[in-house]
Amino acid sequence: MTSRLVQIRRSGAGLPAPGPSSDPTADAGYESELDRGVDFSAVFADAMGRNPDLVLEIPEWETPPADLEERVWRALYEVPDPEFPISLVDLGLVYGVEVKEPDGAAEASVTVSLTLTATACPCVEFIKWDVRDRVLAEPGVAEVDVRITWDPPWTTERITERGRNALRRAGVSI
Amino acid sequence: MSQKGTAGYRTAVDVPEELHADLASLLLSLADNKRLLGMRYAEWLLGAPTLEAGIACSAMAQDEWGHSRILYAMLKDFGKDPAHLEHEREADEYLNSELLDEPPAEWTGLVALNFLLDAALSVQIESLKDSRFEPLHYKVRKVLEEERFHFEHGRGWLARVAQTDAGRAALEEALEPAWISCLRWFGGGSGLVVRLAEAGIADAGPDELRARWLDRVAPAVAEAGLELAGVTDGSWAVPELDWTGWDPARRRSGEGGLNDETLAAVRGDKNRTMLMD
Repeated sequence: MTSRLVQIRRSGAGLPAPGPSSDPTADAGYESELDRGVDFSAVFADAMGRNPDLVLEIPEWETPPADLEERVWRALYEVPDPEFPISLVDLGLVYGVEVKEPDGAAEASVTVSLTLTATACPCVEFIKWDVRDRVLAEPGVAEVDVRITWDPPWTTERITERGRNALRRAGVSI
Repeated sequence: MSQKGTAGYRTAVDVPEELHADLASLLLSLADNKRLLGMRYAEWLLGAPTLEAGIACSAMAQDEWGHSRILYAMLKDFGKDPAHLEHEREADEYLNSELLDEPPAEWTGLVALNFLLDAALSVQIESLKDSRFEPLHYKVRKVLEEERFHFEHGRGWLARVAQTDAGRAALEEALEPAWISCLRWFGGGSGLVVRLAEAGIADAGPDELRARWLDRVAPAVAEAGLELAGVTDGSWAVPELDWTGWDPARRRSGEGGLNDETLAAVRGDKNRTMLMD
């Protein structure tokens, strides 16, 4: 299996959308010299562990996907963990993909079962947004339900070989 | 999955009506105790005896809050609103151990919560591993796995503080009320823990749980040379318990409750503006 390195792109979904201000005194504000040219979305992303400069190793598939379920699995290899440059699949967080294609419906609903490394994972919402966004981008998917499961508990044993290499590259010992 | 080959309950709707209140109460008791214990851990982030202990408290606080979040969310199925449970209750509606009513004044008090109370919660949770109530069955393994290092942390500090005469005396003073309180926490002969065990929600009743807890914590207590009720000369047995003032519904002493500072902090009163959706 060959693979390629791609720039991680964060969707930013779920971040507060800029809305119209109701403040009649609002003005251009003050931009410090130090801040000039800083991409605050990137700073914010980084501060939340969503470093936009990391690369992700994605498998290059030799055969086309057999069905939508396989397509969804492959898509999930492109969803990075919010803290480390490793896909959710390689980290071993994805427990299941279920595709329901109701009779007569043109599009399917997909349920992705995920676990998290810790019960108090502070990134749970980011992960859910990222999964939902990526799977919804697949043609033929109408809705995505992300479920969190704790059984069986995640352990480092679940990290794939590719995932281990990615973590080593990022200086994480496992 | 379920006990003794009997049918499991997939959701709260499947749970027999007569068990609803007891099961909801057990979940709320565990959730409240974990939420408050997590807060107590967090209070030692700054000021623990070592930097490492402060960091461990941070990690344990995070775990407890993760567990309580899971437990509060489970109560949704029982017709309770988790947001209300977390942010809008009065002190007398919390089902917490009296040990959490006020912050411990000293590190030995935190060690008592870490080593004794956290272990009591884990013993109760372990009894739900094969619960007929499947949402519990599927969640407790992860919780217990995270709890393993809490126990080791408590045990390590117990041994460390007990190395000196002064340390042993301070530990005995801190552990004594916690010891009796934890023994009582599993409940008496007719409480909800009895009914839930009989119904296969838990795998043991109060007496068995008390014995399991004692077997877990007493070896380290005996090794440290601490004198506590029921532990003598390296062996231990559940001591005679005085049930005066026991409130079986709240699984605690009927006296007192969360103090004002604790209530305001645990409800998040200072952050109320953030709660408006």
